Amino acid sequence: MTNIIKTNKLCKTFSNGGSQQHVLQNIDLEIREGDFTIIMGASGAGKSTLLYALSGMDKPTLGNIDFAGKEITKMNSDELALFRRENCGFVFQQTYLVDSMSVLDNVLAAGYLISNDRKATVAKAKEILKSVDIDESLWGKFPTQISGGEAQRVGIARALVNSPKLVFADEPTGALNSKTGKAVLDALTKFNNKGQSIVMVTHDITSARRGNRILYVRDGEIAGELELGKYVSGNKERHQMLRDFLGEMGW
Amino acid sequence: MNKLLLLTRSHLRKNKGTSIGLLFLMLIASMLIGVSLLLMLDAVPLAKKEAARLDAGDGIIRITGGKEAIDDDFIVDCLGDDVERYFISKGLQYSDCSIPFNDGTVLLDAVVVNSSAYDREMARAEIISEDTSVTSDYVILPYIFHSTGNVEIGDDFSIELKGTKENLKVRGFSSTPYFAGTNLGAMELILDDDTYAKLYEKDSETNSCTMIPYELKEGVKQSRFSLKVDSKIIVKAPDSQVSLVTMSNTVTGRTFMSMIIAVSNISTTAVILVVILLMLVSSISNYVRENMKTIGALKAVGYTSKDLNRSLVIQFITISTIGSIIGAGCSYLLMPLIAKFAVAQVGIPYHVSFNVICTVIPVVSVILYTFILAVLSLRKTRKIEPIVALREGVADHNFKRNHFALDKSRSGLNVNLGLKTMMANKKQNAITFFVVGGIMFLCIMSLLMFWNFNLKPKYEIMAFETCGAAITAEPEYKDEVRKFLSDNGGSNVRELDTFHLTYNDEERFYVYITEDASKLNNQNGLYKGKFPKYDNEVALSGKFAREYDFEIGDEIKLDLGDKSYTYVITGFLQSANNLGREGIVTLSGAKHVFDMDKYPSTFYVDTDGREASDELIKKCSDEFGDHLLSKANFYESMEGSLSTFKNLATMMLIIIAAISAIVIILVLFLLIKVLIYNKRKDYGIYKAIGYTSRDLILQTALSFMPSIVISSIVFSFVSYFVANPYMNIVMMAFGICKADFDIPVPGVAIIAVCVNVLSFAFALFEARKIKKIEAYNMLIAE
Repeated sequence: MTNIIKTNKLCKTFSNGGSQQHVLQNIDLEIREGDFTIIMGASGAGKSTLLYALSGMDKPTLGNIDFAGKEITKMNSDELALFRRENCGFVFQQTYLVDSMSVLDNVLAAGYLISNDRKATVAKAKEILKSVDIDESLWGKFPTQISGGEAQRVGIARALVNSPKLVFADEPTGALNSKTGKAVLDALTKFNNKGQSIVMVTHDITSARRGNRILYVRDGEIAGELELGKYVSGNKERHQMLRDFLGEMGW
Repeated sequence: MNKLLLLTRSHLRKNKGTSIGLLFLMLIASMLIGVSLLLMLDAVPLAKKEAARLDAGDGIIRITGGKEAIDDDFIVDCLGDDVERYFISKGLQYSDCSIPFNDGTVLLDAVVVNSSAYDREMARAEIISEDTSVTSDYVILPYIFHSTGNVEIGDDFSIELKGTKENLKVRGFSSTPYFAGTNLGAMELILDDDTYAKLYEKDSETNSCTMIPYELKEGVKQSRFSLKVDSKIIVKAPDSQVSLVTMSNTVTGRTFMSMIIAVSNISTTAVILVVILLMLVSSISNYVRENMKTIGALKAVGYTSKDLNRSLVIQFITISTIGSIIGAGCSYLLMPLIAKFAVAQVGIPYHVSFNVICTVIPVVSVILYTFILAVLSLRKTRKIEPIVALREGVADHNFKRNHFALDKSRSGLNVNLGLKTMMANKKQNAITFFVVGGIMFLCIMSLLMFWNFNLKPKYEIMAFETCGAAITAEPEYKDEVRKFLSDNGGSNVRELDTFHLTYNDEERFYVYITEDASKLNNQNGLYKGKFPKYDNEVALSGKFAREYDFEIGDEIKLDLGDKSYTYVITGFLQSANNLGREGIVTLSGAKHVFDMDKYPSTFYVDTDGREASDELIKKCSDEFGDHLLSKANFYESMEGSLSTFKNLATMMLIIIAAISAIVIILVLFLLIKVLIYNKRKDYGIYKAIGYTSRDLILQTALSFMPSIVISSIVFSFVSYFVANPYMNIVMMAFGICKADFDIPVPGVAIIAVCVNVLSFAFALFEARKIKKIEAYNMLIAE
């Protein structure tokens, strides 16, 4: 399998007055194409910091990140933005839709960034919205007029509209109840099964089950890794393997 | 109180940018109010104070001709019991003399006196500055020659007095109460005793002049006294010319320009105050929105709405106090520059001095204005409940329509998102719309002044009739002169004389006498009705008609001595001259009250320009010599008269342009700052999904452009059509009722383009702050 991301001695240190906090320490990591990679760990372990460093949203203090053959740690803020629009999609815990835009416009605002073919982009945006079960009646509504689960699925549609090499999801179900959370995970799983690579941070075991590769972060380091087969609903053996791994990691 | 100051200090610290922006706006407002007040209360009264200092009395009577009939005993008899005191002095007068002034000449009566002018018991002259080393062949000129006429001590001064050129040196400048301005009818020239004696010997037979400044007894009406004296002198010496000038008219004439500038300043100040109103209301409402959580927390720990409101009011009062005090101070720095043009025309040295009223009023008015606005705008914080505020539950957005839907739009992505931002910020864009509108109006008004007084001077504002040259011939030569002018390159030769009539035994009336009003170049002199065509018709100045409630079609009885005639009013004139006491009748109409054939005739003739006028005047002088009583190159005269206006219009254009640019920059600074703050989360989201800072800066700048572009277009049209009616209102006091100033369309377009380019450039500059917003910071802030 091809690597999308390869990091080399990735470090992130926060300075606060005289003290320093090493959040990421010498991380060497590969993210593979087609994987649904899960990053787990306790609160404050550095999992979100790792996710945003990998995506180029945050700059590491030391180390290199090769993303799709490009060294992104050397890029400036605008170069990173241009890189992200073609290669990354993001799903955030808080959805972060633009309140003053309709559901469809939120998706198109990302889609138009890389496509000059407006008709094709609109068609694709509508298709993706349908595929994440956002009914046509909701397309003209504003984010404040739809439910949290629906808003998160719109966020997924926005992340996928440009067919990015990798989708980064930061606890996408963290603010949702179990029913709406499941719908969001189903949507992500569906796209992963179609070949979309995903990296997801979560501290929820139900969400983690959707991944085929689990990375456990502790004190800014990758403390352990578990390879699982692709997610199949009701596979108890797979679930147990995950439980055992997390038990080993002290979860 | 301590807790309030604590809160106020915290507000100020948190809102440094907004506070500085508002402070500058308040500074400008206070400065403009200060300058207007200094003009009205310090500079304008200058002429009146100087008149009192020089003991000018209530007016001056100037009599020329009739030397044998008018002696001092007769004058005493004329004045009768109406005057408290008077003083008789003698001099020479040269009517309609071309006096060198600036790059041209001014056509005025030259009143020539000697050093005895300093010893007059009333209306004395005083030296302001002089070079005592110049001891012969010198002239001491009224100070206006120095303040606006570009003349310095030691300059050569050549003037033609009754056909003889006198080459003099300027020894100094004087202050004299009556004959000291380009729009006061006459200039007093003080010559050295020898030169004066030589001139007196040569010209006293024809040009001797008696001047009688007087002070009226209490209760005596000026107009009635003037008419009484006028008619007595004309009966006794019909060939004499009498001019009566009142002190109040002289003061009005001298301060004409200062008043125009004061009015312009007040207009500018009004626009700035509206801008402050909009910005203050917007800033307060934004402050409440930004600090909702803080307000909630403070309320939760026991602060009352009153406490919070008071601290905010103290904040804005602090800003307005600092801004207005600095502004009032700046008005003293700006005033010398304004005075250089505005007060120069008064013809009296002016030095800005501290004036309590002009300092206190701007400060108090700006503070009071801010206080009222702050109190009114802060009423809504009282309704905010702590728990709601803590949850930031006070909705400030209410999206009902998805404007500029991306799936249906054909425009560029940045343009489209900019338009969406615009629709989400309607209030800010409404503010921009009206601010730019006000700025457009001010700029177009100053363009109007610059164009009509400087680049393409509107001569008809300054003169009743425009022409190339005006030549006055003795009665016996009028037909020959007319023919000569026609045969030697002049065109449209028309007779236009002037005379004084009276109305109702109390109003002196300056009457133009035309042979054919349709031949006049300045048809705009009549703003309503029609010019007189028949012998029983008259057109009156609108100002006079309003005062006496005359309508077109009414009859008016005009007198000259014991003769009178009743004319039908056919139209209304507009005029800035003779304080609006003007009318026009036909030659045949004038003959009802006096014999025109006995009086000199003035011919107005069109030429191909200044040089052609000079050439025609020279030819005519060579042909007729002393039989021409006066000759004036109109272009030259206007050049001299308009020079002060030209400088003034240029200065006003520069000042208004500078203030406009500063106001646009301050307003955009405040609005964009608020916009970026309010949209910082959206900008973070945009950056996360791949928008560059450049995209977002462009979107932000573009979001203000529709309101700026639309406003500049709308207000270009509005100002274009409103400018002349507005000028009518401003200039009505000066007799102009139907201003027909030209407004160059390309100039308006240039202003609109400049406003748009400046706004867009500054919006891009200010929106660069978006660069500091990082998507990651937005994510970890939650």
